[in-house]
Amino acid sequence: MDSILFLILRRLRLPLILIIVSFAIATLGLTLMPGIDAEGNVWHMSIFQAFYVISYTATTIGYGEVPYTFSQAQRIWTTFSIYFTVIPWFYGIGKIITLLQDTSLRQAMSTDQFARDVKLLQEPFYVLCSYGESASLLAKALDEKGMRVVVIESQQSRLDELELTNTKSIIPYICADAKLPENLVRAGVHHPLCSGVVTLTDSDEVNLAVAVAVKLMRPTLPVIARAEREDIAANMASFGTDHIINPYTLFGEQLAIRTHALGTYLLHQWLTGVPGDTLPPPENPPRGRWIVCGYGRFGKSVVENLEREHLSMTIVEAMPELTECDTCIVGSGTEAKTLLEADIMNAVAIVAGTDNDINNLSIGMTAKELNPALFLVVRKNRRHNNALFKQFDADITMQPTDIIAHECLAHMISPLLAQFLTMARNQTNSWANTLISQLVSAMGETVPETWVITVQESAAPAVVELLNDGTKVLLQNLMLDPADPSKQLDLVPLLLLRDNEPMLVPHAFTLLQANDRILFCGTSNAKSIQPLLLNNIKILTYVVDGIEVPEGFLWRYFKKKFG
Amino acid sequence: MNLEKVVFGFFIVLAMTLNFGFFLGGIDNPTHHHVYELFAAIIVSLIATVLKFGDRTHVGAFLLSTSLAADLQLIAAAILWAALDGKMEASHLTVYIVSLSGGALMANFVSVILLISETISQRR
Repeated sequence: MDSILFLILRRLRLPLILIIVSFAIATLGLTLMPGIDAEGNVWHMSIFQAFYVISYTATTIGYGEVPYTFSQAQRIWTTFSIYFTVIPWFYGIGKIITLLQDTSLRQAMSTDQFARDVKLLQEPFYVLCSYGESASLLAKALDEKGMRVVVIESQQSRLDELELTNTKSIIPYICADAKLPENLVRAGVHHPLCSGVVTLTDSDEVNLAVAVAVKLMRPTLPVIARAEREDIAANMASFGTDHIINPYTLFGEQLAIRTHALGTYLLHQWLTGVPGDTLPPPENPPRGRWIVCGYGRFGKSVVENLEREHLSMTIVEAMPELTECDTCIVGSGTEAKTLLEADIMNAVAIVAGTDNDINNLSIGMTAKELNPALFLVVRKNRRHNNALFKQFDADITMQPTDIIAHECLAHMISPLLAQFLTMARNQTNSWANTLISQLVSAMGETVPETWVITVQESAAPAVVELLNDGTKVLLQNLMLDPADPSKQLDLVPLLLLRDNEPMLVPHAFTLLQANDRILFCGTSNAKSIQPLLLNNIKILTYVVDGIEVPEGFLWRYFKKKFG
Repeated sequence: MNLEKVVFGFFIVLAMTLNFGFFLGGIDNPTHHHVYELFAAIIVSLIATVLKFGDRTHVGAFLLSTSLAADLQLIAAAILWAALDGKMEASHLTVYIVSLSGGALMANFVSVILLISETISQRR
């Protein structure tokens, strides 16, 4: 703020001096002009009176001639003063207004405001180094989950969008280049409550620069970065970037999971969704021969992953020499001839995966006309085309931005959740389906909250105290409603971590130990009630033993003595 | 030789000397203290203040604060004069005004000393 004040003062030096000098000369002159009072005597204005007259004259307010009608000499001087003082006055005002509209000054002011907002944050927050399509989704989800977000974005139009969005808490933002370390510092990389940096810009170079800068400034801070090119990803990894997200590979993996383990996929989507949303009913992709239109980075990842599922594949590509595709049918796929050549009549599914939304829709339309039974996967590139895709209603609409946002959330909500999801991928589909039905019966079909509790003095004092007394506390005890212990809270434990040994979906009768970490998912209501059990020893004892603990020290003493 | 420095030094020294000129004389004698001298002192002091704007150095900040102190007291003296002229005995009013200008003189004095010490430390 200081520097801005000095900047204003420095720029106002000339207009201010002009105003002072012109006012001084006009005031001085007016006191020297002889006037005539009501009795006809000669009088001179005092300096104060003259200053008063000049003040209202120069600012064009004009109260008239006080205290007496002016003499000719005074009028001559006033006429001169008007031209002499009004011009510097307007020059000064104009200068101030120009200064306020000055882009560099406004930039300095908003930057300053941003740095101050970030400094004053009292809760853990994440730094998002872009506000593109995936980052805006991510910001919305984090905001819904009650986490704070700070945004650096270089395009003002995207920030305008952010300004118009309704959020639970204020999102400080700055229009700046995230590559510059000073902007990262302003965004709070050194802030003790900063819990991580997420860089999802379209440019790999920017993402790399951010990841490297953050890792050099604060090596312990988690960084999630998007990278499309292999070499950039390797470079990021060498600097210790915690999670590198490649949207194309991710998409292929997800599609593969969907074809062979729909339950696992659903579980992933569900736990990383925005709380309160409902999930659309999933489609189960058929097995058989697939046609993949577009063999770019996206198509390659799809083919690679589906081949692993032992599905046969026909590739349609417009420019085979550019994409190093040996055995493909040449054509864009938008016309019936190419599709027929790919033997669409005997295929079970088609992936419209080019980087052009309109082409993808056109491929889908043509294919559906030729073979209405076809299972349709369409890639959506731009969120603006939402309405078109909704109308089109493909079996699966895949949007890279959604996928990126979900993947980031998995890492950001809690490291335990990411661990859980990795383990869940290695389980069978029927395991996932059982868990889903368990979750649905506990909390309905809306996206749940997920949170972690640690059995430690600071986080769960009541549990620790009972454990120290030798009382056995079951996991089940933390899942009961304190108001009515015969009822369960709407939550499910997903993972228990003890001495780095994970227990997937721990049994309710598991005995708790000190330093256990448990990942729960459940309704937001359950999330807000559970701390009562963790913090209040009376409530927890009642839930565990059914005994009301005496309140005061004296009663406790008697109880020990005679009870 | 730098014209900016000449103007800067000129106004700071002039502010002090004008202030001193007004202050000089019997403290309760109205005829020793001319109103135009106070007027000139105020104007020059204001200009000196504005000239000090925008200097971010430590000395610059201190120079600005001494100037603001001087302005405050000189303007207070002028307001007293305008408000109480004719309402109380001239010699009593003069004591108030001159003592206020004496305070401003101290501030201007500090300002000039700072200027001199900075000039000497530059050795150019």
